[in-house]
Amino acid sequence: MNESRHESGAGYVEPPRSCLRPAFFDFVRPDPRGDCATAEEGRGGRGDALKFGIFFELSVPRPFGPAIERQVYENALEQARLADALGFDWVWAVEHHFLEEYSHCSAPELVLTAVAMQTKRIRVGHGAVVCVPEMNHPIRVAERAATLDLLSGGRLELGTARSSTWTELGGFQVNPDETKKTWDEFVRALPVLWRREPVRWNGRCFSMPERNVLPKPVQDPHPPLWVTVTSPGTELDAAERGIGCLGVSAASYQEQERRTREYHRRIQSCNPVSSVVNDQVATLNFLYCHEDRKRAAELGMRFMGAFSVANSHLLWTREAFPTRAYQSLANLAPSASGSGATNPGDGVALPEGLCIGDPQHCIAAIKRWESIGVTGVNFLLNGMEAVPQPAVLDSLRLFAREVMPQFRKEPTTTARALAGAGQ
Amino acid sequence: MARRPKLAGFDAPAVALPRSEIVQALFEMPSSAREAIVPAGLHPTNPAALVLQAWRCPESPWGAFSLVQARAQTRSGVRPRGFVLGAACDNAAAASALATGFGFPAAPAEIRWQRAYDTVRIEVGRGGETILALEGADPEPLAAGDVQFSGTLNLADTPRGWRLVQLDPEIRATRAERLRPKLSAFRAAAWGDSRLDPYWPVSASITLADIELLPIRFVCRPDELAFTGTERV
Repeated sequence: MNESRHESGAGYVEPPRSCLRPAFFDFVRPDPRGDCATAEEGRGGRGDALKFGIFFELSVPRPFGPAIERQVYENALEQARLADALGFDWVWAVEHHFLEEYSHCSAPELVLTAVAMQTKRIRVGHGAVVCVPEMNHPIRVAERAATLDLLSGGRLELGTARSSTWTELGGFQVNPDETKKTWDEFVRALPVLWRREPVRWNGRCFSMPERNVLPKPVQDPHPPLWVTVTSPGTELDAAERGIGCLGVSAASYQEQERRTREYHRRIQSCNPVSSVVNDQVATLNFLYCHEDRKRAAELGMRFMGAFSVANSHLLWTREAFPTRAYQSLANLAPSASGSGATNPGDGVALPEGLCIGDPQHCIAAIKRWESIGVTGVNFLLNGMEAVPQPAVLDSLRLFAREVMPQFRKEPTTTARALAGAGQ
Repeated sequence: MARRPKLAGFDAPAVALPRSEIVQALFEMPSSAREAIVPAGLHPTNPAALVLQAWRCPESPWGAFSLVQARAQTRSGVRPRGFVLGAACDNAAAASALATGFGFPAAPAEIRWQRAYDTVRIEVGRGGETILALEGADPEPLAAGDVQFSGTLNLADTPRGWRLVQLDPEIRATRAERLRPKLSAFRAAAWGDSRLDPYWPVSASITLADIELLPIRFVCRPDELAFTGTERV
């Protein structure tokens, strides 16, 4: 059994070559007969230490203008350089379009390239590429990703997504009924397009005669694949395809534990889209770390609140276009006989386990996430520039100094927790 | 903005509207007037959206009636709400009760429903003029819970002054279909604001449901964000 580590480190193991049929490279689907062994070997990665990343939405407060957008971008790059120096593992950038205030990050490949050019070690991640042909052609996704992997020296992580706002899907005239299907085709096609030989593809959302898609990624066989998890059930899609779970919305401990448990159970019998399996589970959190708890709460809640309010202004697909493909809240006006009509005065519901507080608070919150099988935590550092940049940087430094070491010295803790989850 | 109802109090009892049909259609509107057409305490969505929602209620305390609302899709705090810009009702007793009890600005009008196998058409007429003609075609079955209905906000003159009256109808859907919307007539001024321009159709649906209008629980100051401007009644 080949247990060599993937260049990325954790959770990514190659199956024996005997699993691959000679005609594999001409096929659009991997041979399922090798999958069980692949998934089994994927278990080994989760004994590694918990990973930490930073997550860029690039929120921009009004009034808009070149100056404020440039400042937001420059601040992000400075945060990435510092995170690299401090030992963070990942920096992620989203792909969003038309989302005024909430996210002005519509060309993440450029943002991540800038980050890669200014950093040495930190991995750069798409959080995520929108796998909808009206927005991104699969060949162009493969080309851009391979180029970024080259430029970064093999540090790319590729998250995939299908968008969840009508703001975006409607802007590109996308049929929401089709996005799950196109996403599925993208994640199956990308590993094929990255192969060293010319390939052909005959699919639902694109087809091409035999061509050699260039360049090829540095990472062998390709950058780790992820899918963003918002809706319940997507973690099962990830597991079935042998790709990582990139959480991009706050979930409760209970919900995340359920998702993680189901993910790890399902991935054992996956039909991977590639010759390798990425079995990592990362969640999204908010980070503001300060020695003074009160100060931490004041600034941290301010940025979290601003970001969450901007998020609420978006027109969600499930609100604008009834479809089975996006889970609908059947009725947003709950019965008064239950918990009562929703009070519009209620602010943003606080997600559990926020890293907004002093180092001890952050350690406790992260230990809880680690205990339920999460293998990485990504942090939003600011929203609408509500926290001054020097304070963001100080928070990163304090986190790196006081919190991160608690999770670097006991890598076996994660393995024990996962064993306890019945894997 | 059009004239608004006056509420004597907030004690209207719950009203059951069983076996009702709801046609809901969403259109995008230009961003130029999106903030001007809603009170300062609400935030428009991005993009701005107009929801036309039509009820056909065969049973009610006032007999059978139809109600058509034009609503701007907004956020009250972080909650999705339809701010009712204008409404029409074809039953005088129902219109009066909905206005004085729940704040619907329901003006009298003729409302015609035409239901065929593959289309549903709703026409609203007033003073001999068609002020709305909405068609939904090519029905596709959905699960009953796939259609999302937002709570309602009606601007009304209340004992506490001008308030956004929050109405949370309970909608228990039993069947739903998605439709392709087409708006062949829309007189914006008749629906509360001449700046309304539902220029881009997005979706429509028809739902069979039991509707229950619940007692009013919350009102909001129209000039203040809901986080600080909400009052329990």
